[in-house]
Amino acid sequence: MTELEVTKQENILAHYGPLSYEEIGFLLNRMSAFVDKQGLSITVKKKVYSAMVESLENIYKHQDIISSNSDYQPRFSLFLDDKEFSLFASNSLLTCKIGPLKDKLDKVNSLNREGLKDLYKLTILSGNVSPKGGAGLGIINIAKVSENKINYKFENVNDEFSYFTINVSILHNSAI
Amino acid sequence: MEPLYIEPTEFTPKVFFDPENSVFEISGFSRPENVIGFYKPILKWLEDYNDKVLSQNTNFEKSILTLNLKMTYFNSASSKFLLDIMLEFMKFMSKGNKIEVNWYYEEGDDEIMESGEEIADMLGYNFNFISYLP
Repeated sequence: MTELEVTKQENILAHYGPLSYEEIGFLLNRMSAFVDKQGLSITVKKKVYSAMVESLENIYKHQDIISSNSDYQPRFSLFLDDKEFSLFASNSLLTCKIGPLKDKLDKVNSLNREGLKDLYKLTILSGNVSPKGGAGLGIINIAKVSENKINYKFENVNDEFSYFTINVSILHNSAI
Repeated sequence: MEPLYIEPTEFTPKVFFDPENSVFEISGFSRPENVIGFYKPILKWLEDYNDKVLSQNTNFEKSILTLNLKMTYFNSASSKFLLDIMLEFMKFMSKGNKIEVNWYYEEGDDEIMESGEEIADMLGYNFNFISYLP
């Protein structure tokens, strides 16, 4: 996996620290106000909105907090350039969870639009909602709305924990 | 049977199930913090409606049940429950009732429209797609 890089982009939103449900709403409202001000289409707004909800809720529901180290708190950033939005979301998690998560990300990245639709259908019809409220659909949904591959990386924190980052792009100007 | 009415909040949609008029509406925004806690009682209400109203109706003429879905946004966990609700309505057809599903979307909102098309495809059932101006 190559390093995730940011180039000539404007930082629209940035969050670092514990993430509450209300904070997620606050970030979403700020993005919506920004997109409205830019006069972008409702479809672009909904795509960015969906990618933000799913990535932020993934952090909220699935992070494993490292109580002994406060250097790896949830991080979220949204950047904009003349072509696309770029979203970064990071959280700590137990290293033992990496395997299934990586499998899911690789599976999603291997599929085209129709393949993603089929996987979404298969998952929603067969999967149950976990006690945390996840339906196993979040990552598929992020890939569907971004129409790009999900970049990701895992950084080792210690024997028990890792720091997980995803990055997706959403086109707002396909003419460039 | 008493109607089901749930006030909308910042994170949850308005729900109004009116058994007297056979009109069932879910509208607005759905990103509940406790998605199971929000949607399970709605599914339970539909089970009761099936047992207490539809199953008790011995008339030859069955009413048309109209399901109006006017969502502005729903997260992926909510989509699972919206599908479950619609699957309940599909079951009601075995009681002889016809089901009409109206899927509303804001003009230009391809995301909501396509979500409706995908759900209709999963159910193998035709929805009426109705656009409205913001």
